[in-house]
Amino acid sequence: MSIRLAGMGWVTPLGRGIGQVWEALRRGERANTEQVSSPLNERTYPVYRVPQSATATLPPHSRLRRSSAISRFAVAAGLDALEEAGLKLDAEAAARTALVFASANGGVVYTKRFYHEVVETGARAASPLLFPETVFNAPASHLAAILGITGASYTVVGDGAVGLLAMKMAEDLMASEALDQCLVVAAEEVDWLLCDAYRRWRLLRATAPVEPFALPARGTILSEGAGALVLSRAGDVRLEQVDPGSNFARQREAPTHVGRVVANLAGSEIDLVSASANGTFVDEAERRAFAEYCPHARVYPIKGALGEGVGAASLWQVICAGQALRTNTLPTASQTVLHAGEVTVDARVERHAFGRAIVSACGLNQQVAGLALSLAN
Amino acid sequence: MPASNSTNRERQRARVAVVAAGIVSPLGFGLRETFASLEQARDCISPVTRFSVAECRCQTAGQIADDRLASEAGSVQRSKRWHRAAQMMVVALRETLEQDPHFRPELAVVGTTSGGMTFGEQYYRSLHTGGRLHGAASLVANYPPQKPVIDAQEAFGISAPCQVIANACASGTNAIGHAFECIRSGRYQRILTGGYDALSELVFVGFDSLQASTAEKCRPFDRGRTGLVLGEGAAIMALENFASAQSRGAKILAEIVGYGISTDNHHLTQPNPNGIGARQAMQGALKSAGLEANRVDYINAHGTATPFNDAAEGKAIADLFANVPVSSTKGMMGHSLGAAGAIEGVIGILALGEQLLPANLHFEEGDAGLPLNIVANEPRRAPIQTVLSNSFGFGGTNASVIFQTNAA
Repeated sequence: MSIRLAGMGWVTPLGRGIGQVWEALRRGERANTEQVSSPLNERTYPVYRVPQSATATLPPHSRLRRSSAISRFAVAAGLDALEEAGLKLDAEAAARTALVFASANGGVVYTKRFYHEVVETGARAASPLLFPETVFNAPASHLAAILGITGASYTVVGDGAVGLLAMKMAEDLMASEALDQCLVVAAEEVDWLLCDAYRRWRLLRATAPVEPFALPARGTILSEGAGALVLSRAGDVRLEQVDPGSNFARQREAPTHVGRVVANLAGSEIDLVSASANGTFVDEAERRAFAEYCPHARVYPIKGALGEGVGAASLWQVICAGQALRTNTLPTASQTVLHAGEVTVDARVERHAFGRAIVSACGLNQQVAGLALSLAN
Repeated sequence: MPASNSTNRERQRARVAVVAAGIVSPLGFGLRETFASLEQARDCISPVTRFSVAECRCQTAGQIADDRLASEAGSVQRSKRWHRAAQMMVVALRETLEQDPHFRPELAVVGTTSGGMTFGEQYYRSLHTGGRLHGAASLVANYPPQKPVIDAQEAFGISAPCQVIANACASGTNAIGHAFECIRSGRYQRILTGGYDALSELVFVGFDSLQASTAEKCRPFDRGRTGLVLGEGAAIMALENFASAQSRGAKILAEIVGYGISTDNHHLTQPNPNGIGARQAMQGALKSAGLEANRVDYINAHGTATPFNDAAEGKAIADLFANVPVSSTKGMMGHSLGAAGAIEGVIGILALGEQLLPANLHFEEGDAGLPLNIVANEPRRAPIQTVLSNSFGFGGTNASVIFQTNAA
């Protein structure tokens, strides 16, 4: 059974749509940061936000009236992926479609607002309108309702590797003949509360940009958006293998775990690695793994342009790898690029002959996974 | 009715054995204590002690005592900073691995709704008061929902990749069901599955704000029901390809034979009153098992005791089944959300093993026109070969899984 990427959808701080974001990346653009500030301790943080225009054209639907940004990102990316795949989900097609939604932090904005009211005013002030939107699977529920999906719908949670764990789940679901396609969506929304938490975890940097693979690692900047993929039995990019990886107990063990995944996926020829390097300990883990197991591959760390999208990020990476395979191009590396085990800066717009790519995802909270893609014949 | 071709194909796939299980809930620590509570139909709901509920309608929950939990988890717990949900997972996983010490999973599929939410609450309250927050990084690192699953594995030297399913209250059953399908497809040999959730203020207040929880007793399927009572706990099952388990002489507690999942798009928090979501999940499980409805001997219902849930689920059960014994065990222990499906799955396995129909507490009279055979207030001895367990959740997620005795 061969599983293919039949459609992709991208909602990022550089805008919405595969073509638009890809061209921006090829031009070497980075998203601009905005400052968000905590009303509780007056700290400010740079973040990468999705421009409002990206979700302004969503079709009207009662489910979106009160939904949070994460749901709107998920819906936008999901609809775009289905459109690119040429799929219109009538009742029959919807019944043969599964939905897998992934996130790390879920609806953090509404969760914070709900609990703030409880802390500030007491339980009597708790909002029955906000609470349902705090549930991790609220975005999946809205998307399923909009698309008319009545069968399998799963929400998977984890760290930055969760998108690939969702891809693994989708691959397993597609073993069933009852399914024709699976829509995989990963989304995240950013908030000062997350920034505060990641700062205390010593993973954030105070000013842009994110510099993947730079030495020393100076920290990352949080981002938001969504990625979506339609997995089907037809399409131009083949999903060769998903390795759900393992869990590292301590950050210093991450290189071993990333190495195992990359070694498993690399095989004989890897042209491109879509990396999760983000300016933290992740960079060193990936640097070592790539240098050992695929030293001749070009490595592209998309977080240099889009920031750390946490739950959404690994699907952004898959889309990047898929688009590179489709177009034989790679974004202009306005950020550092690892090549042949060395860190270099490559600002050229090049055409390549990419046949096979891997995606490496090392999350910040112990999870590691990867997958391999190739051009379908 | 003869089985269809597609049903025949389904049944040709790998069989799936439950080779070990572990549980901790308000009913007790471990299978033995849990069964004793079921046999005695104990009401294990008590006044909430973990946080203030002075402003809530509901004042009670099914709770696990902190001191015993810490003591039971302590021998293998690597860090005092672990969330109590991780301690619950350690207790459940230890019991599982004591039954099958050599079980090494390729994958862990576990359900939860709120992960380490109480650490998030502690973090936010501290920010709000402007106080010094000790151990902030630890709270952040131990908050995410995958952490208790990773912690518990680490305690026993396991590092299987974690797929953590957060399908609201259906999470535990979805996790078991997905793990079952993964083995059934032949893609995996051994998977750890289950669910966990620890009581948290945010979730407690949330259900209270929706007026879904009750100030009274939790009375599933009773005509006078007024809402749910929350609970907490964890349950783990070790699933294995049946032939593999048999060949290595593993003890087989039960077989999982069917799984159904559906999505009801009626409303974010309420089921379609016609019960279609629940019916589709149960029909899916029966089809997946290749069973007619009359082969089911007992249904462990979702039965939250909210007016809407029990009406919709009751209607779906009555539409599909004739006089099958039904009980919701939530009257005894509360609704443990993401853990519920896993805990109730283990209760289903105990029902099969001990031939006991667990009681549905606080039941006097059912809804008019809803002919359900409720196992009212006292457990019953009965021959049981096939158990169907339901879980339904916010977001319209519905899941049903079918367990059978090995001999069925």
